[in-house]
Amino acid sequence: MKRRNFLKQSTLASSLFFVPNFVKAFEQVAKKSLGYKKLVIIQLSGGNDGLNTVIPYTNDLYYSNRPELSIKKNKLIKVTDELGFHTSLAPLKNLYDQGYLSIINNVGYPNPSRSHFRSSDIWQTASGANEYLDTGWLGRYIEQYGKIPYMGIELDDTLSLIMKGKNSNGIATKNPRTLFQNTQTPYFKKIINHQSDSHLSEHNLGYLYKTMIEAKSSAKYIYETSKIYKSEFTYPKNPFGKQLKTTAEFINSNLESKVYYASMGGFDTHANQANRQSNLLKTFSTAMEVFVNDLKQHNTFKDTLILTFSEFGRRVQQNGAGGTDHGAANNVFVIGEDLKTKGFYNAAPNLSKLDKNGDLIHTVDFRSIYATVLDQWLQVDDVSILNKSFSKLDFI
Amino acid sequence: MLKMNQRHIQHLYWRAGFGIDINFLKKIQSNSRPQIIEELFSDSEKIIPLQLNLSEFTSIKNKSANALKKEMGEQAFQKLRQRSQKKLRDLNHAWIERLSESDGILREKMTLFWANIFVCRDNHIFHIQQYHNTLRENALGNFRNFVKSVAREASMSKYLNNKQNRKKSPNENFARELMELFTLGIGNYSEEDIKESARAFTGWSFNNKGGFLLKKHQHDFDEKKFFGKKGNFNGDDIIDIILEQKQCARFICDKIYKYFVNPIVDKNRLEEITSIFYKDYDIKNVMTYIFSAAWFYDDQNIGVKIKSPIELLVGIRTIVPVRFEEKKQFNYLQKMMGQVLLYPPNVSGWKGDKSWINSNTLMFRMKLASLILNNAIINLEEKGAFEDSFDTYYKNVKKRNRYLKTSKRWDVFLKKYGNLHPRQLRDFIVMSKLDFDTETLLDGLEIKSNKDFCIQLMSIPEYQLC
Repeated sequence: MKRRNFLKQSTLASSLFFVPNFVKAFEQVAKKSLGYKKLVIIQLSGGNDGLNTVIPYTNDLYYSNRPELSIKKNKLIKVTDELGFHTSLAPLKNLYDQGYLSIINNVGYPNPSRSHFRSSDIWQTASGANEYLDTGWLGRYIEQYGKIPYMGIELDDTLSLIMKGKNSNGIATKNPRTLFQNTQTPYFKKIINHQSDSHLSEHNLGYLYKTMIEAKSSAKYIYETSKIYKSEFTYPKNPFGKQLKTTAEFINSNLESKVYYASMGGFDTHANQANRQSNLLKTFSTAMEVFVNDLKQHNTFKDTLILTFSEFGRRVQQNGAGGTDHGAANNVFVIGEDLKTKGFYNAAPNLSKLDKNGDLIHTVDFRSIYATVLDQWLQVDDVSILNKSFSKLDFI
Repeated sequence: MLKMNQRHIQHLYWRAGFGIDINFLKKIQSNSRPQIIEELFSDSEKIIPLQLNLSEFTSIKNKSANALKKEMGEQAFQKLRQRSQKKLRDLNHAWIERLSESDGILREKMTLFWANIFVCRDNHIFHIQQYHNTLRENALGNFRNFVKSVAREASMSKYLNNKQNRKKSPNENFARELMELFTLGIGNYSEEDIKESARAFTGWSFNNKGGFLLKKHQHDFDEKKFFGKKGNFNGDDIIDIILEQKQCARFICDKIYKYFVNPIVDKNRLEEITSIFYKDYDIKNVMTYIFSAAWFYDDQNIGVKIKSPIELLVGIRTIVPVRFEEKKQFNYLQKMMGQVLLYPPNVSGWKGDKSWINSNTLMFRMKLASLILNNAIINLEEKGAFEDSFDTYYKNVKKRNRYLKTSKRWDVFLKKYGNLHPRQLRDFIVMSKLDFDTETLLDGLEIKSNKDFCIQLMSIPEYQLC
């Protein structure tokens, strides 16, 4: 027996000796291999203005709809003959140049909601506009394939709908040490150490104990596995940079977690958008470039796919306050090492054909992107997770 | 005379309220079950609306937005409106305080229940306050009148787009949710029924003050076909026809059963209460029937419901009176546990039961008693809002290691509970039967004071149930 295997098995054996049967059963689920692909989902919360992010700089309608807010041809990073990046996206342009970025334009869904809450729920649950689902699509993935909370980690202190399943959920943490400490409070600890498996038959009481044990087990696993690796990269000093840094530490320490979710706030730019969005995009793209380099350095980038979305785009026409109001279809960024379609996946938005609110009409259903990622990246049955079959795209 | 044992009285008061104070329990203990139930209802007879002082915003109530914009200018108007919207938080706080203070606890519990049936959300402080009080007013009344009142509310009209529902271009949103979420449940009506009933609600609108207004020129007076009937139906007629369906009574009774009796529904019991409710749609009657039924006190129905965050929070305050020095910390607690009153996630409301629980909420909920009663340190932050700027979105990151600022009346607690045997205290605080290992653990604890023991009892998983 190789020394490494021996060590692995002996530590496992000694720890098994002390834990009750059902905890054992639960912890062993983790050993079922799910492949090593990771998925990182970033939500630009508030509704990012996609038209000033990826700018259709040859389109007169863009300039006529946004007399003050449009970005002049000489003040952007030209990428193709018709589309350019906001200057704050220079780091993202680096990724683009290396073939690590695919941009999918006009992503949305039929009868779009312009409420942050509702549209965010729709994106997070992968529902239609008239459906109210109470589980998230990553939550359902965890429920069907991972079972254990740490299979899905949200970089926050509370869990969002996207990570919730019916009987299994992901786990949220900004700081694995804090999470761990919260399961080490004397009383919590005492109760867990006292458990045998007699209560599992009880309905709700059993569920509480199961959740408590999973919480403790996951917190311990995340903390102890990730503390061995601390990133040496310099991330921008802001909370979003911290979220990505922690994600990189999780991934690079070979945590078995498969899916990650983080939201970056501040994109609801109804007023004084120009400066605000510029700062936001800079924060986003700078952190993202460091994140990718961090993963590359540790050879984990090839197994990581990063998807960035916003709950909606913004109205084509600017408003009276130097900002934009809630809109509909928007662009989605896919970042990864080995993309099939590098650069722009599809045509730029059509500004001459808007819906009755004056918003972009989607040409790609966001659930087609999810279906593609589930099927081709995570290699699981997309239909059973999305409850429906969606046509697949060709970007990975 | 049918007497009630202590556990059954506690059970009744956990479901009809938020637990029971021990002195009150002693006071009513010698009464018969019918007497106790009668008192529960008579205590709730009076309807005391929740009213904030909104005098600084009367202009919003009396004039239209356009008139105000003209009068005060766009910017000043927006500021005024934003300030008025902040009052929603005050209404949220006042509501939670009411839950701890009210003598009419059943009415309050029912109001909370109905707020998750007739789910609605609105930023207009006058309209939502009125809506909220409509729930309270009808909470124990007649369901028929209740539905008709809700359908006339300004907040509802906005939330489900009935104000955009016009003869020329009907909007089906309200008609759909009326049947799907408020009365029948999905699959118990046809798409044709939705289309036809939407027509009956065309022109249903409201005035600035929040009163109902039928815009005659937008109302469709023509014939509609609904559930096999033909007639020049208006909205009220539609509601009457819906209530003719026994499924409507069943749908509501199913919700009542899950909320007040047991999250796992016994089909026979459900049919039993459905028949009672279907007779007259009298909410008070069906609730009296349930609380009087012997099966309501079956062991399998006691201590098996997962408390909602609000039940958990208010339940702690029933035992130890606590005042929050910083009301906004109410918001923190509600956000961390996933239930902010007046801010339902969507029109289908909070799902309840197991969905309250995940690793994060459970850890937080088990720490709640220590946070409120024992100055435990806050080391977790709530999420920012969609509308926040980047800095505001993450602002709490810098405020680590805070405390909840509360003043606890341990003197009141000790007077009432200080001399109880630990075993008695345990039975008073924990409704669920105890897990064997946890019971062994509790039995082995060296109990120094009932104060500490109370916090410990509120920190075990069993306390999450009622």
